[in-house]
Amino acid sequence: MESYQLVENVAFTVTFVVYIISAVLFLVHVSGITKKLERVAMLITLIGFLFHTVAMVVRTLGAGRLPFSNQYEFALSFGWGIVLSFLVLHKMYKFSSIGAFVMPLGILVMGYASLQSRAVRPLMPALQSHWLTFHVGTAILSYGAFALACGIAVIYIIDSKRTSEKRILKDPEISDILSYRVIVFGLLMLTIVIISGAIWAQKAWSRYWAWDPKETWSLITWIIYAIYLHLRLRRNWRGKAAAWFAIIGFISVLFTFVGVNILLPSIHSYAT
Amino acid sequence: MNRTVSKIFHSIASLRFAVLLLVLIACYIVIGTLIPQHSSPEWYQEAYPTAGSLIIMLSLDSAYSSPIFIVLVGLFAMNLTSCTILSLKGQVRQAKDNYFPPFTASDQIIDGVTEDAIIHYCKKKRFTVSKDKETGTCKAGKFRWGILGAAITHVGILVLFVGGVVGNMVATEDVVSLLPGNEVSFAEQGFVLRLDDFYMTFEEGGAVKQYISEVTMINDDGTERTETLWVNNPLSHNGIKAYQASFGWTGNLRITDNTTDEVLVEGLLRSGRTYFHQNSHLTIYLYDYYPEMAIGHDQNPVSLSNREINPYYAVILYEFGNPVGSYIIEPGDPITYNNLTLTFTHSIAYTGLLIRTDPSYPIVLTGFIIILLGMFVSFYCYPRFISYDSGRVTTSSRKNGWVFHNAVKLELSKISKTAKREE
Repeated sequence: MESYQLVENVAFTVTFVVYIISAVLFLVHVSGITKKLERVAMLITLIGFLFHTVAMVVRTLGAGRLPFSNQYEFALSFGWGIVLSFLVLHKMYKFSSIGAFVMPLGILVMGYASLQSRAVRPLMPALQSHWLTFHVGTAILSYGAFALACGIAVIYIIDSKRTSEKRILKDPEISDILSYRVIVFGLLMLTIVIISGAIWAQKAWSRYWAWDPKETWSLITWIIYAIYLHLRLRRNWRGKAAAWFAIIGFISVLFTFVGVNILLPSIHSYAT
Repeated sequence: MNRTVSKIFHSIASLRFAVLLLVLIACYIVIGTLIPQHSSPEWYQEAYPTAGSLIIMLSLDSAYSSPIFIVLVGLFAMNLTSCTILSLKGQVRQAKDNYFPPFTASDQIIDGVTEDAIIHYCKKKRFTVSKDKETGTCKAGKFRWGILGAAITHVGILVLFVGGVVGNMVATEDVVSLLPGNEVSFAEQGFVLRLDDFYMTFEEGGAVKQYISEVTMINDDGTERTETLWVNNPLSHNGIKAYQASFGWTGNLRITDNTTDEVLVEGLLRSGRTYFHQNSHLTIYLYDYYPEMAIGHDQNPVSLSNREINPYYAVILYEFGNPVGSYIIEPGDPITYNNLTLTFTHSIAYTGLLIRTDPSYPIVLTGFIIILLGMFVSFYCYPRFISYDSGRVTTSSRKNGWVFHNAVKLELSKISKTAKREE
């Protein structure tokens, strides 16, 4: 067990440092000081992601289960989800500059993970369910997507104030569309998170919905993104307003993840 | 009159009204998470000296069952229903195979495409293609029925609401505490539930791994069914569900007469409860039971786990309502008071089973499935249209125009390259 923890700690630290380097390189790249760092930054991000994956795998082996059951483990997985979303988007559309705004979010979440206890604790009875993997796994994908959408929205807001030569993405409309598509994926995943949580709660606690603060804030996040999509599709809300919505939505995600655990008493209190 | 009704109906169905309601609902439930729920009115007055009265007046102390919240959700259900009804006719028309949308400024164009290439693309991607023989123009569409995704999602949410309302009206819930051997009767459901055993399993460090209740259901016709339930593994029988919800400890209290050694009373006393011995006017309060006792930072006893490896009882005695002694004793240790000896011989854990009947859950599950289906259709099976005229391809998709256009462009370029290579 100790050897697992040692490897995990080393992998975590390397990941954290490498992500910081990659974020700095991306920021230098988008600031226009030099445009040659893009590939190096992507490579370093990939290396960081590999170490991150190692930390997750070692944690899984050490704990004998997926790392989904407390704040440290979820933050570790959430950070992984953010970087994975970024890498997938880069693979699909080759927009590496987004890294300048997504990697800092990944660092923020990893920084939060570093403040949490890393002790491997056994799963409490309520968590001993196959639904845990599905519920938290989809939450990672959902939160990762919303973080990515937030990063893209920040790019849109910055680009909208710049001349076309100085823009991070040549066409601001592209960042607007990408943000929207990523939110669509995130919202579908969030719906699965809420529904799987409800089905699990029905099995464990007898009620599919109990207005627990974690449940309620997930619903609030869902409502924010649902309003965003309706205004976009029915009222053609695009541009800055949509970008601000994506940012507000992600603030709600962060509050659901961190704020609820710290500030509000919840039956999800094991997630501390 | 009809015009007025129609105007009201359209206002209720409007997106503006929906957004307003969603914002209000979100704000209301945010407040519900910030203000502790279901405390006494006095508590709110004390905790919120300036806003206490307002909290009670607006029912924010029971936010999720307050009239304001119910009205908001009811209006939202009306909005969803009317909006779905109003838009459904047009959507059904657009879902038909012969529908093709008028071009708009947001549609994008690809020039220099051969007819063979676009036909090849459309067949490969399973578009339905119609060709005008006179003009030579082609029109193709895919996932026209995807326009119904939003309506399906709305229906799913409404089904969920129905499930919630039915659940609130008919669901019943009760908690029963049972010691091994105890029975509880469910006359309506025609059976008796008997607890055969209750125990805990432990992790290495002492944390509870699982709470396990072994039960037998004895039906009115005499047949029996034995089951084991634990957290995450509820039991279903004849329309009721039993959940492993809680547990507690009882201590076996024995009161003996010192002079005659006669056992006057023997029975189980729950932790936190009292027993009044009438003859001696003595009240025995089992303050707590510590299966694995240790002394905490504040010098008070605490239990490190629920494993019975260092058991102690905290007992307080009262005579005529006045405290006359407090003790921390091991099982079997006697407490002598006047001519009585009090002993807690051993402990037995009892199980807390939550018994629930909720016929609405299948409705709720159906709602969940419909919502997911609707969202998937809406987001990933959205309608896509292609028109071809004299080498010019126009792509159109309201929900994801840019991505669709680029996907078509990329695929057409691949087809064109392959064709050139073959030539």
